[in-house]
Amino acid sequence: MTQAELERVGEYVLGLLEGPDAEAFERQLAQSPELAAAVDRLRRHLHALDDTAMPLPANPELWARIDAGLGAGATVVPSTRLPPPDNDNHNSWMRFAGLAASVLVALGVGYLAGSTTGAQRAPVMVAVLLSEDAMQPGAIVEAFADDSVRLMPLDRFEVPEGRVLEVWTLPDPATGPVSLGTFSNPQTINLAGPDLPPPMSGQLYEITLEPAGGSPTGRPTGPILVKGFAKAPL
Amino acid sequence: MLHWMSEPIPSEDLIDRVAHGDRSALAKLFEAESGRLVAIAQRLLRRRDLAEEAVQEVFLRLWGKAESFDKTKGTARGWLTVSVRNRALNMLRDGARIDYEDTEKLAELGDRAADARAAFEALSIKDSLKHCLSALDEKKREAVLLCYVTGLNHGEAAATMRVPLGTMKSWIKRGVAALQECLS
Repeated sequence: MTQAELERVGEYVLGLLEGPDAEAFERQLAQSPELAAAVDRLRRHLHALDDTAMPLPANPELWARIDAGLGAGATVVPSTRLPPPDNDNHNSWMRFAGLAASVLVALGVGYLAGSTTGAQRAPVMVAVLLSEDAMQPGAIVEAFADDSVRLMPLDRFEVPEGRVLEVWTLPDPATGPVSLGTFSNPQTINLAGPDLPPPMSGQLYEITLEPAGGSPTGRPTGPILVKGFAKAPL
Repeated sequence: MLHWMSEPIPSEDLIDRVAHGDRSALAKLFEAESGRLVAIAQRLLRRRDLAEEAVQEVFLRLWGKAESFDKTKGTARGWLTVSVRNRALNMLRDGARIDYEDTEKLAELGDRAADARAAFEALSIKDSLKHCLSALDEKKREAVLLCYVTGLNHGEAAATMRVPLGTMKSWIKRGVAALQECLS
């Protein structure tokens, strides 16, 4: 392949060819298996970057819109919409909720001062998650009014091969914990979160260790690494 | 012999069933793939509602033309990823439909450089892509990542990195060409 062809393949896969340029290149692709193979190859490699996007939980409302758009026929409900009615961990969440008042976490003022400047959004609730054993701060959660959550790890969690970290919250003890998403790298991440009631003071947040892909039951199944309760910033 | 009820069905088989009009297969495919696809689209479009719109359109089109998926040419996940990326990029380029406040837009541009770097950092060190991106010089790597991960075009990438448009175009050309040579 010539340098010019490599450049063209690259620009096309990066989404930088538009309108007539893209159409002309696609006609070339249809004629040249070599060029088409180069596009496929580069795409396959670059998908590793797409895989770094933190997967969100499947949104049942989005499915309802798609299902409605399919036209006549029976409505289908994806099976994961029906979480198991109960498990052992559920009860322990109820107990934690009861303890909320005793473990409310106070916040450093300096941290908040830094996060309210400029065009940044202000969180509705903030929680410092403490490690289960040593009660050391392990992560900060900022919860926003639009259900999104910003998670800032303070500690390097040990994640064994084939496991992920899953973030949970308990908006309502009656319905049980809800997953906000999974992550594997200790970096600040933004989770869009499912459609939930506005975060409340005293709401529990925790991170557990789960099998790759997240908890198979829709409820926490692994050990709790850190947990804490939300408090509204002043 | 017992069968484990919830054993995942490969997405390739689900698409095959979708092509035969099996609506529950489309629901299963949605369940397995949509969360990842919305996340990818959201990194490009910045807004969850638009990201979901992109994924919705891809699933609706899939219902009509699942038979165009050719499993000899790649995985179902790869095919869906390309479809959602293309749809999201078209929405971005079509800009008129996306109104960001000006101040928000400036802040978003700042975020995008961070998103692009975070995606690069999150690649496994065993991945040849990480190795080959690392081999590029920093400016070219950042330019390529900005365009691929966050969907910026030449002009937006040039503004984000504060360089002239011509410089950006040449960084990207040389960057993606060198990347392919390293990957091959």
